[in-house]
Amino acid sequence: MKNIVIEPWLVDETTHEFFVPEYIIQLAEEVLKNYDLSVQNMQIITTKPDKGGAIWKLETKSGPKSLKLLHRRPTRSLFSLGAQEYLAEVRKARVPPIVKTKDGKNYVEAGGKLWFVAEWIEPLTPVAKDLEGARKLCYALGEFHRLSKGYIPPKQAEMASRLHKWPKNYEKMITKMSWFRNIAQYYPEMPASAPLFDAVDRFEEQARKGMERFQQSSYVEFVKQGTAHWGLVHQDYGWSNGQMGADGMWIIDLDGVAFDLPIRDLRKLISGTMADLYKWDATWVREMILAYYEANPITPELYELLMIDLAMPNEFYKNIKEIVYEPDMFLNEQTAQLIQTIVETDQSKWSVLAEIEHKWKGVG
Amino acid sequence: MRILMVCTEKLPVPPVLGGAIQTYISGILAHVSQFHDITVLGISDSALPEQETIHGVHYVRVPGKIFEIYRENVVRYVAANKFDLIHIFNRPRLVLPVRQAAPDAKITLSMHNDMFQPEKIDPEEAAAAIAEVAYIVTVSDYIGNVIRSLYPQASPKLRTIYSGVDSERFLPGNHPKMQKIRDDIRRAHGLENKTVILFAGRLSRNKGVDKLLLALPELAKKFKNLALVIVGSNWFSENDMTDYVAYVRALAKRMPVPIVTTGFVAPNEIQNWFAAADLFVCTSQWQEPLARVHYEAMAAGLPIVTTARGGNPEVIVANENGLIVENPGDPSDFADKIAQILSNPSWMRRMGEKGRQLAVSMYNWERVASELLEVWEQAEKTEQAAVSEEQAAGMTIEPLKEDATEQLNLPTPKADAKENVHSKENAAASSDKTKKGKAKKERAASMEDNQQTAKQKEAAAERTKSAKSAPAPKQNQIVRHTKSFTITSGNQQTLDSSPKTHWNRNQAQAKHDSKHFTIASSH
Repeated sequence: MKNIVIEPWLVDETTHEFFVPEYIIQLAEEVLKNYDLSVQNMQIITTKPDKGGAIWKLETKSGPKSLKLLHRRPTRSLFSLGAQEYLAEVRKARVPPIVKTKDGKNYVEAGGKLWFVAEWIEPLTPVAKDLEGARKLCYALGEFHRLSKGYIPPKQAEMASRLHKWPKNYEKMITKMSWFRNIAQYYPEMPASAPLFDAVDRFEEQARKGMERFQQSSYVEFVKQGTAHWGLVHQDYGWSNGQMGADGMWIIDLDGVAFDLPIRDLRKLISGTMADLYKWDATWVREMILAYYEANPITPELYELLMIDLAMPNEFYKNIKEIVYEPDMFLNEQTAQLIQTIVETDQSKWSVLAEIEHKWKGVG
Repeated sequence: MRILMVCTEKLPVPPVLGGAIQTYISGILAHVSQFHDITVLGISDSALPEQETIHGVHYVRVPGKIFEIYRENVVRYVAANKFDLIHIFNRPRLVLPVRQAAPDAKITLSMHNDMFQPEKIDPEEAAAAIAEVAYIVTVSDYIGNVIRSLYPQASPKLRTIYSGVDSERFLPGNHPKMQKIRDDIRRAHGLENKTVILFAGRLSRNKGVDKLLLALPELAKKFKNLALVIVGSNWFSENDMTDYVAYVRALAKRMPVPIVTTGFVAPNEIQNWFAAADLFVCTSQWQEPLARVHYEAMAAGLPIVTTARGGNPEVIVANENGLIVENPGDPSDFADKIAQILSNPSWMRRMGEKGRQLAVSMYNWERVASELLEVWEQAEKTEQAAVSEEQAAGMTIEPLKEDATEQLNLPTPKADAKENVHSKENAAASSDKTKKGKAKKERAASMEDNQQTAKQKEAAAERTKSAKSAPAPKQNQIVRHTKSFTITSGNQQTLDSSPKTHWNRNQAQAKHDSKHFTIASSH
């Protein structure tokens, strides 16, 4: 078993829903020998076949636990494990505590990846998909950000920071708008090409204006304050990774945490939620920000950056970027419909942002 | 000297997986190893042993890929082995850890990219690293200027050394060695009777080959029988699909001109594609340090169209070996420049010839190596760690001994014959030297010298020329060596008797705590 390297695996009609290759299951059993747990049952919960990751639920004499095979590079996983330990043990945040191995370690290395066991939190239920639920999610996010400050990654860990990457991300978004336009032009026969061509100017303009505002913002000053000042972002926070437990909201799946300005998580949560509502709603946006603010106050300058980030054509970009892969497949009727929905949703965005921008003056 | 060359954590040396830095190191080793005892520390690779000695160069390979892992291995190796000079490639973040592990070694640094940008290195660490190194060699004036603008105190330490190319390997397509290869490639890919435009490089947004694709419809209207060859993969040997590669592929499918994509080409075969082409286009969109494909295209006798980005224009003599695209974001600017060249075949041929001539006379590895040797020799005679006057004043420095006969750190030429020459010359030079002032003054003087880069380049070009005609280029080198001996490294003596004089991290920290970092070494 020593020289095995875990690789992504294929899932097709011959495999069942949560298929995991046999050698990985054997590795999992080897890994568990490092723990002082008597495992009574082991059940696969979810897989990431394209990356080579998996999660099992363990029933043990000391209660339910999770066993995770982390798909990232070991040094990157060390960063996240260190964060999870810091949050749970030092800051007493509601994130699942890591179960130590027999020799007191946070993880086991096997198959070229890191594995770890954490407490399985029960009960956990998703919050209601209403404004109150959104508020709870936002409050929990603010708390998470606040408690993550002061984290120092272990010496062996790879530094995971996106703090410096904002300008590059925005530039990339602008560049890719021209890609979308070119693709639409060179694939004129596809159903989504005409609507895409018509829509792209508006979103490109938004991105350019956003970039200009961004360049006038306090971003450069923010970056100078360093990673430790800002703490971690979750990067995959939403209605499933923040859930209600017996004593409050828990945040799970910390594998992707990285240093960054915290409002990026908040922005993603807000713009994603508005996309789910098919319209922008000033009350929701304001309440979500306020709930966040209660747990992690933000300065007017940071609020301004949040506004700039909300104004970027995030949803258009996120949904359209796939088309470069197979234009003659992705530029279909469904994509044409999607573009229409995004354009319609976008129309309600600007008055909401204007209103919110104004409302802030009483809060900050 | 015992010299350690520390490569980056990304790719192995020799450049079995390609890489500009790796190619550079390999290109100069044959020359520099004639004068110094060289060890190359780099990352391990399944195709290469962990240790070996080839032509007198020691290779040590340790696990890398991830910077943190590599750094630890580098530190461990440096702590366990003694070197007079450690030359670090493109990783300013290795300087301080290496300094801690090797308090007495001279450190020099080569910069191939903008690794001094604040997102790559913490400004405090950058300033401390600059203070530690004797010289910073850059692959273009552009890279030097960026470092200078970020850290003005680095200015006197900066020196541009343009890279080189093996013009015996990269040859024009009409060279007897290449004719068959050219014909074979063109036949195999349906490029007979085509005018072949070549792009070679990573397929990434920065490198911008998409702009060249978008120029093709316009060019196809003016010229019959065009073809484009795209050599390169997304990232060296990995043919991954990224959104950019997907985009380029999607565009390529719809172009009116045949497009040949090669994927990753082994570094030892890449010259064949240059020989098969007629025109080379570099489409860089970013502030590129100075892509080495320019040298390869020149050696292959190809006219060049490149972009006004970063260091790229530095190797173009406008209208003589190529043209510069001022707005690289605009495909029609590429179409324009390419059309200019293609419409005038005799000019096109002359441009190729000029490129070849430049590659042979200026951009050869011997010239690169001899310039680096000079830097090392000057580094050898700098004070231990380039501590600023201000900092030096705050530290206890023993008076420098000026008796050169007490030098401890004699260079170690490898051949006995050479050693004799060195010693004799050295003795003479040393006695001469005793009249002069303190080492610090000399350092200032040598830095002034160093700023005369234009002159130096001329001199280097002269040397190269004479080296070409002289039977033994080594002799040239020896002369240079002896010249550099005119300066005492007497402070080495002092150093050994007084460890206080060398810079260390704690002192830097203490200074930093008391006031803001000012590591300017001469202002």
